[in-house]
Amino acid sequence: MPEFKAIAKRTKKPQNGWIIARKVTQAIAFLVFLVTLFLTRNNSLPYTTLSIPERLSPLTMLASLISSRTFLAGMTLSLVLVVLSLTFGRAWCGWLCPLGTILDVLKFKNRKSVVPEKLRTLKYALLIIILVAAIFSNLTLLFLDPLTIFTRSFTISILPVLDSMITAVERFLVTIAPLRDVVLAFDALIRPAVFPAEPVVFQYSIVFSVFLAGIILLNLVAERFWCRYICPLGGLLGFFSKLALFKRQVKESCVSCALCKTYCPTSTIDPDRGFESDPSECTMCMNCLESCRKDSVTFTPKLSLAKLREYDPNRRSILRSALISITAVALLSVEWIKRIPQNFRLRPPGVDDEDKFTATCIRCGLCMKVCPTHGLQPDMIETGISNVSTPILIPRHGFCQYSCNACGQICPVGAIPALPLEEKKQLPIGKAYIDHNRCIAWSDHRSCIVCEEMCPLPEKAITLEIGEFTSPEGEKFTLQLPVVNRLTCIGCGTCEFKCPVSGDAAIRVYTL
Amino acid sequence: MKEISRREFLRLMGIGIGAVSAPALLTACQPGRGGSHAQSPVASPTTFQPQATSTGTSASSGYPDLVVAHGEDPEKLVYQSLKAFGGIERFLKPGADVIIKPNISVPYYTYEYGATTNPWVVGALVKLCLENGAKKVRVMDSPYGGTAEDCYISSGIQEQVEANGGVMEVMLPLKYQTYDIPGGKTLKSLIAYPDFFSTDLFINLPIAKQHGLSSLSLGLKNLFGTIQKRERMHAEIQTKLVDLGLLVKPHLTIIDATRTIMVNGPAGGNLDDVKVQNMMIVSTDIIAADSYATKLFRKKPEHLPYLVEAAERGLGRIDYENLNLKEITIDA
Repeated sequence: MPEFKAIAKRTKKPQNGWIIARKVTQAIAFLVFLVTLFLTRNNSLPYTTLSIPERLSPLTMLASLISSRTFLAGMTLSLVLVVLSLTFGRAWCGWLCPLGTILDVLKFKNRKSVVPEKLRTLKYALLIIILVAAIFSNLTLLFLDPLTIFTRSFTISILPVLDSMITAVERFLVTIAPLRDVVLAFDALIRPAVFPAEPVVFQYSIVFSVFLAGIILLNLVAERFWCRYICPLGGLLGFFSKLALFKRQVKESCVSCALCKTYCPTSTIDPDRGFESDPSECTMCMNCLESCRKDSVTFTPKLSLAKLREYDPNRRSILRSALISITAVALLSVEWIKRIPQNFRLRPPGVDDEDKFTATCIRCGLCMKVCPTHGLQPDMIETGISNVSTPILIPRHGFCQYSCNACGQICPVGAIPALPLEEKKQLPIGKAYIDHNRCIAWSDHRSCIVCEEMCPLPEKAITLEIGEFTSPEGEKFTLQLPVVNRLTCIGCGTCEFKCPVSGDAAIRVYTL
Repeated sequence: MKEISRREFLRLMGIGIGAVSAPALLTACQPGRGGSHAQSPVASPTTFQPQATSTGTSASSGYPDLVVAHGEDPEKLVYQSLKAFGGIERFLKPGADVIIKPNISVPYYTYEYGATTNPWVVGALVKLCLENGAKKVRVMDSPYGGTAEDCYISSGIQEQVEANGGVMEVMLPLKYQTYDIPGGKTLKSLIAYPDFFSTDLFINLPIAKQHGLSSLSLGLKNLFGTIQKRERMHAEIQTKLVDLGLLVKPHLTIIDATRTIMVNGPAGGNLDDVKVQNMMIVSTDIIAADSYATKLFRKKPEHLPYLVEAAERGLGRIDYENLNLKEITIDA
């Protein structure tokens, strides 16, 4: 006991060796993920390299594989994480995961955790729900994968918000004459290198922001709440970690001072079990190793299967999760929106089968990041709630640029086919229809041929007819009237985007 | 929370109001600006024009008003036609800042399709300016069919400009300012990019092509790239083009007619629609240059209402036959 007290007094934060190595690794990994995301609009790296972060997650790759029954060679990259987990346990979570790093940095001083241990089973339940749903070609819950959360949050929420903040400050400062040149120089420095020339907006950005904020705020309840209880990827890696070669072991020299428990971010160190931990919960952060004053913690290699805990899935809970999954998939499939014809459900170029698309897309949002016009927007309810965060093209927001096939090239699972440019230029996304009641030429009899002018096709899909009209004064005059050739129109939406009519365009692209 | 005394409240209010109104005060102190509703300065482009262009010929000065050059080699076309025009030195002060505004409208096709200015013509002009004392040559446009970065690359212009020592600049929305148009008929003001007014030499370098609405896209139409809110230009485009010409005045207009889109402009996309003309037109009078260019499309300036209106409103001359015209042919 006296020894215990002496050690407990020296409770200075562990901050050496392994901890520094881990924090440096976390920072570097986070920067690599972030820079990769920035480089998507830079043309400097091949798209297959830029989609590596998404292809690292065995959860999304496995689910997409099961759901679409399509194997892509690029999916094997996720085996890196499987091997990593079989060797070092959930080191991914503690050392590399960008969302984990965010949660490590944004942690709060929380009270003693009151979350029941049993809740740890939630992440396994979610994992099973996702994988069973995948069998029935539903990937809705993949928006819970930490890598898709990272990509989506930065694409849809964080970067646009940062951009808007900077733009607002710049617009304010640029009106102050002495500062104008400095502000403009700064603007030229960050645009278009870091941020696009025009600030980007995304629909439902606030919803995705609240979702991310929720994950961060859960840190108030317990440190790394998300990683402990919810993260389905953590659940999958935790499953492999039971077999991990390097597991935390407690030597007999342990004096039960409980210092290690104090510093454990997932509080998996259990005093009742001789301060042992569950490798499925341990993020290999090394806090315990560095805090132990008796060097009683080791991570020496040892082939073994870790003991099952009360929160680990058993036959009963697996069956229950599977049943929940099947019920949920059935519930989502009776959504009426699936059965009524859709006017404006425009998918990225090359997507021809809606069901196949939603059964392959992992909801990461990379296509929205790479789209130069930002016409690709996250869906929320337009095509059904089961398709949250899948991309849809909103031409009034941004058209599908004729000579761009970036979305298909970057898609990590081929949900958007990686078409050669020449092929993409000929595949229709939808068809344009002119609303004669709103068209400036057809309705007001004023000259306007913007849609014809903007049509990017070599043989324009919009041609001009000559119409003869009589003015109120009785004068006869001729006018060019736009007409769409539905056989050649590819529905890129350039006409809809550029239509000078206010509000909805007088020419709109409809679902094929 | 501690209670706030009246004194403290007033102090905080004073600081707050001061902070909010400081920028407005600073802006108000600027000469030529309104206080409450700060208007951007009235356009005052440096009228660095060596001779009057809109009235009378410049026969007295000995320089031609219009140079028309024929030749296959883009670099020789640029060098020889400007030599015939009296040399770029006429327009270049030592250490001058130069802006070249080509037509880089769309990223859909490569230069062969004639939708964007010939990259070797742009490159040669950059080189010529830098050889003759220009300090910095910037090349910019604001495309309508994609991001500027994409268009700069796909047009091949970025490669040639950088190879010849020039700089590609992306036109940033923050920089644009509102300018009043003195004498504007339909448009009283426009939001334009200030650099075109402040630079020492602004060279307008369009590619001649067919265009549905204004029927031909030439020098004047190329100035669309200097302003924002272009979609508002299309109703009554003819008058608005002249209004734009009254505001934005390039010092020199060089029309690239090496390859011209004859039908299906302005984006093109079909090589059958492109005619190789191997020509270049140089003038300080944008309307004279445009008027001559109509000839390449078997038209007359009178066929284009905006040219007629531009001449009527004193922007330039459409009777190019009466100007001091010099036509040269460069051997390959």
